[in-house]
Amino acid sequence: MTEVQPIQVIKGNTAAAVAAKLCRVKYIPAYPITPQTTIIEEIASMIAKKEMDANMVNMESEHSVFSAALGSSMTGARTFTATSGQGLFYAHEVLHAIAHFRQPIVICNVGRPSIPWNIWADQSDSLSQRDTGWLQFYGESSQEILDSIIQGYKIAEKLSLPVMVVSDAFYQSHTSENVNVPEQELVDSYLPQRKISENTIQVESPKSFGGLVPPEIYDRFNKLHWEAMNIAEEETIQAGKEFSKIFGREYGAVEAVNINQNTKTILVALSTITTTIRGVLAKYPEVGLLKIRLFRPFPVISITEIMKSVSPECRMITIDRNYMGEKEGCVHQEMKRALYGKNFPIYDVYAGVGGKDVPPETIERIINFDFGQNVDPVWIDI
Amino acid sequence: MTNNFYIEQEMMYSGSLGCRGCGWSMMVRYISDIFGEDTVYVVPACCFSIIAGPYPMNALKNNIVHSLFAASAATASGVRAGLDAQGKNKTQVVVLAGDGGTFDIGLQALSGAAVRNENIVYICNNNGAYMNTGIQSSSATPMGAVTTTEPSVHFKKNNPKDLMAIIKAHQVPYSATASLAFLEDYRMKLQMAKKHYGFRFLMVDGICPPGHKIEPEDAIKVARLAVNSNAFPLFEIVEGKNKINHRPENPIPVTEYLRLQGRFKHLFSTNGNRDNRNSEILEDIQRNVDERWIELGGNIFNI
Repeated sequence: MTEVQPIQVIKGNTAAAVAAKLCRVKYIPAYPITPQTTIIEEIASMIAKKEMDANMVNMESEHSVFSAALGSSMTGARTFTATSGQGLFYAHEVLHAIAHFRQPIVICNVGRPSIPWNIWADQSDSLSQRDTGWLQFYGESSQEILDSIIQGYKIAEKLSLPVMVVSDAFYQSHTSENVNVPEQELVDSYLPQRKISENTIQVESPKSFGGLVPPEIYDRFNKLHWEAMNIAEEETIQAGKEFSKIFGREYGAVEAVNINQNTKTILVALSTITTTIRGVLAKYPEVGLLKIRLFRPFPVISITEIMKSVSPECRMITIDRNYMGEKEGCVHQEMKRALYGKNFPIYDVYAGVGGKDVPPETIERIINFDFGQNVDPVWIDI
Repeated sequence: MTNNFYIEQEMMYSGSLGCRGCGWSMMVRYISDIFGEDTVYVVPACCFSIIAGPYPMNALKNNIVHSLFAASAATASGVRAGLDAQGKNKTQVVVLAGDGGTFDIGLQALSGAAVRNENIVYICNNNGAYMNTGIQSSSATPMGAVTTTEPSVHFKKNNPKDLMAIIKAHQVPYSATASLAFLEDYRMKLQMAKKHYGFRFLMVDGICPPGHKIEPEDAIKVARLAVNSNAFPLFEIVEGKNKINHRPENPIPVTEYLRLQGRFKHLFSTNGNRDNRNSEILEDIQRNVDERWIELGGNIFNI
């Protein structure tokens, strides 16, 4: 850390808005939706107070928000927006377009589910968009949301891929925490102005963007995207290392807590539930935590490395705060894929779906749950 | 204003992918001539998205952004904002859309961009159906027309959406209708659209021989009859006032315009006389044309 950075007590949504300002975002097409709304309100307020030099526009829908973001980013302008639940679902078509137009847009999605109506913490919205070609980061704290947006632009602009930074509704979006808000100069040194690439609209060199691609060459575009996704985990680790040099906070694609050859159980979790697990671990020296920060692409390299030190009898328990219409939750499916060929016993628990609180007692119930021979996922506290 | 119909600055390459007699190429040649080099085009799914060229081709000497179907006006709003953020305020952003992408699926984005008075030009080639997917009904399809989704006796039974009234209600700086059969008027309107700042809207009567079931060589003739029968009146809306640009001295009956098009063939019997059932439809169409003409500020005493 090069200098002392000021600590502020701010909400997760404020952290996201401040991150957009620090990244010198130029254009924010916006549409209100709970629980994201205070992000765009905060941005509007900073612009009105001339603390932020950007153009925020009230659009008519999230479909238009993401389409306008796409148009703006295609000119080379750094672009940001925020949404939640239905807004992300409504933008689904455009998410694909942004990813495959290779535009480095960063968004903050404050997760909530769909029907039955619910506005509380749940990752069904963003996890159901895991196949749209975006990178996805799940943040545990307001600090991590702020830092991940800054790193997000670094990675996005390097790989020409969009980044979705996901936070938990209310537990995070509307909860105040200490946040180290970096100085503008530090962010500028980490994240210089966006370079104008061949992917941008330039009047001097006219191009056609997004014309019909025939079957003979269509696969090349997917393969190029795939190649970028394949190095995204390494780029995430690299961006985290560079970040820690300047800001003093370390980030990887995953975080392993208390994982070693003596670990008997590993809980796999995302976002705010990981904080609760951290608190419980003190009582359970044989339990470890595997926090998934980068969810797309799933950090198989990092997980494989971590699991090398673990005894083959160690149980894995994935915690799924999402429902995907499949027997197993999304985190479980991905973990099984990452552990393919290894014989760790692996169990799945649905916890906290629709914003249900997951207190330390629930984490203990999960740790002490007798799965027996049962391989079906467990709905805890139902 | 000039009487010169020559394309002075040819921005479109030869070798159109349009159908024979299609209005798109001719329409865009004039647009790109007048808007020149410093222009970015945004094209949603429509016939022009094909005519503009599949990858890696580009029919225009300009940037073209192929947008999502529902999102041309929103995408153009973003392109505008991105250019402005870089000080490129002089660059024109022009949407080229069909009627489906304008009247139907793109209406939300169009309304949003219009009411924000985004500094873009939106040009709709209204050929009265989803022609790119093969002649399915849109809310611009005229009463009486058959399409593949309203075939035979299930021909279109209601009037098309009055999109110009909707645009007018958004109080945009400039909007107008235009026809390729009235090139001087069309060029004047492109110049006017270029000159204004803010949201500008042009609706061009779309010529579509395969969709309208007409011979390509009759395309301009049919477009002229549309104007001279008041079925497609030429007007501008400036500062909330309608200004009719062409008042036919002796408007021809709308049947003369419909008769040449195969999509209305069922309304006329084989020997050219109307049967009773269809005469009511034809009267409805004529009544609607007259009512809209009066609403616009025209009169029908000379009919």
